Amino acid sequence: MTTALAERPTSAATPPRSTAVLRRIAEMRRTSPGRLRLMLAVLLVLAALTGTVAGLTARAAATGTADLGGRAQPLLTEAETIYSRLADADTTAAQAFLSGGQEPVVLTARYEEDLSVAATALTSAARRTPEKGPAADAIRALSAGLARYNALVATARADNRQGLPVGASYLATASELNRETLQPQAQVLFQIAEQEVDAGYDDARSSWWLSLLLALLLILVTALLWVQGRLSSATRRTFNVPLVAATAVTVVLALAAGVVFATQRDALDDADRNGSTPVTTLAELRIMALRERAAEALTLAGRAGSGADEERFTAISDQLVFDDPSLDGLEAYTDEARSQHEAYVALHEKVRELDDTGRYDEAVALALGTETTGAFEALTGTLDQALTERKAVFDDDIHRAGRGLGVLTVLGPLLALLICLLVGAGIRARLEEYR
Amino acid sequence: MRRAAGVLTALLLLTGCTTVEEPVTEKPSAAPEAAEETTTAAPDCDARASLRPTGSLPAAGRMPAGSYMEEIRKRGRLILGTSQDSLLFSSRNPFTGAVEGFDVDMGRQIAAAIFGDPDKLQIKVIPHGDRTKVVADGQVDLVINTMTANCARWQEVDFSTVYLEAGQKLLVAKDSTVRGIDELGGRKVCAAVGSTSLRNIAAVSTGPIAVARPGWGQCLVAFQLGEVDAVSTDDTVLAGLVAQDPYTKVVGDRFTEEPYGIAISKNHPDLTRFVNAVLERDRENGTWTRIYEKWLGEDLGAAPQPPAARYR
Repeated sequence: MTTALAERPTSAATPPRSTAVLRRIAEMRRTSPGRLRLMLAVLLVLAALTGTVAGLTARAAATGTADLGGRAQPLLTEAETIYSRLADADTTAAQAFLSGGQEPVVLTARYEEDLSVAATALTSAARRTPEKGPAADAIRALSAGLARYNALVATARADNRQGLPVGASYLATASELNRETLQPQAQVLFQIAEQEVDAGYDDARSSWWLSLLLALLLILVTALLWVQGRLSSATRRTFNVPLVAATAVTVVLALAAGVVFATQRDALDDADRNGSTPVTTLAELRIMALRERAAEALTLAGRAGSGADEERFTAISDQLVFDDPSLDGLEAYTDEARSQHEAYVALHEKVRELDDTGRYDEAVALALGTETTGAFEALTGTLDQALTERKAVFDDDIHRAGRGLGVLTVLGPLLALLICLLVGAGIRARLEEYR
Repeated sequence: MRRAAGVLTALLLLTGCTTVEEPVTEKPSAAPEAAEETTTAAPDCDARASLRPTGSLPAAGRMPAGSYMEEIRKRGRLILGTSQDSLLFSSRNPFTGAVEGFDVDMGRQIAAAIFGDPDKLQIKVIPHGDRTKVVADGQVDLVINTMTANCARWQEVDFSTVYLEAGQKLLVAKDSTVRGIDELGGRKVCAAVGSTSLRNIAAVSTGPIAVARPGWGQCLVAFQLGEVDAVSTDDTVLAGLVAQDPYTKVVGDRFTEEPYGIAISKNHPDLTRFVNAVLERDRENGTWTRIYEKWLGEDLGAAPQPPAARYR
């Protein structure tokens, strides 16, 4: 009872709090010191906001850039490694089968290397993806499938050593698993990584944060100038030194942010245009070339003459023209790769001609021989070189993009604090005059 | 290997299924290659009766002008369609890489009769399910591939006289107590896509589940990996599988009759007559028995009398 009685007059007498604040502000605007206090409050809030947002923007951009360079792009590289190593393992296994008799040591070593590199890339890719989602599903399917694939190939080898034809059937089953299940999963992972890289660029650019920061800086400078204009017309002093200094510091902050973010965006654009995009294209080209070689080996291993695998070879071969617009400026590599590819395809056509005219053994010998192997490896070598170069460009750009962002994260709030102090000093001097 | 891909892709495309085990029992349309087998509306015929040879065998290298054999001679090689994973009949020797076996030797006899040189033979491995198709559209001159001559197939291709008699049996694990396919109701039994065996499994009244694989070797793989409980096909083919896995055995009696014939295009009856003449000669001069002993003697015992030729 007593509390109810005590409360009733209070709630009846005082209007809602917000209305009270508005009324007080309205009252303040009527007196000169009131107006000064209002200006002080607005400038302090604006400066604090600008400083915080400058720090946060730099931090978001730094995190985004680091994520792009340290996670998204490496994930793409790993997905590409898994995909191309799988395609190469398939080719190698088929070639080892074709060569007959004891498996050549070179091919065994290459197969082992393919699988161990793919497994390593798979482990790192797993670390770079969230536990749930399509990327994790693809990685799980690949891990399980890779073990099964390896087991099938191992059985094929053991059977082969004992002269059991069922070894060939194990190899066919393994190859089927590789092409029908594993490679499509690796492709899914590759596509996810591609999307993550695109999203990574958006995060690194932090466009939303940056526009907010820009707006705040503009408002702060305008407010500072306006306040100085009012003060100089109301008093005889033309300049309020602390406020002029505050304006200068704000301009310095704007310039620093401008330089850092302009550099970052420039570096990111360059990383995208001359790094990620050509890397993706080159990786795709290399995978296509490897699948081409696999199709050739499978046609011979299948011993069925030109069929579905040869059709796949032709389809891939027609697409391998190395004239993607993203490779502009890399003519030194693409021209070389184009002529190397043509040389390889010419040899492949000889292989097909031999096989189709009943000279199977000669066809196998030519396909596995040093001439064809050399021609093909020259092509992948050129693509590898171009890839390595483009990856280096990307790494450099990402390093450049990250420069200054860390400093800005600290400098932004510090400069804002300085602006606050200067604004306080400048307006307090005027307020003193009304004592 | 290519065949594996082709058949599998076809299966996948049609069924949208990612597992290789596609029971064919319920929906025979799952494998387009099997379509030929499932159109059982073939008229009654004597599948064993082939075209009679005309006169005596021409000398090697001197084929009658205008005959298809002369065309083959001019081309320089006989194109034989077969498989490379049927041990004893046509399988790839892992040591040499050569495809060899009973069926291949039959082809070599025909090449020798045309060219005087058994090596003028090009081996083309063909998908099991496409055997009649590749003959009919001329991709190969003949198919010798443990292929049963039956009335449905006679509608698309011609067959030579019977060169081997086989019958379907069952391959199970060594320690299995199963004695026949009718004891495998509801269990998975493997056979090659497009084979008569696959259809025969589906027709067993107790309802075993027929599982199709691209070839016999892949059926053995499926068996060894525990994906199927048994493999059922001709005893001759099973002998080749048992020879590769000492933990398997063949059980039961032949529950079908599978007379093997050489498939030849209907456009070349002269080649069919020629092949029959070669077979006739080989039966008489002991070549057939020699080839049988060489490839099958160890696993199937001494050579029986060669199947008698029947003509229409």
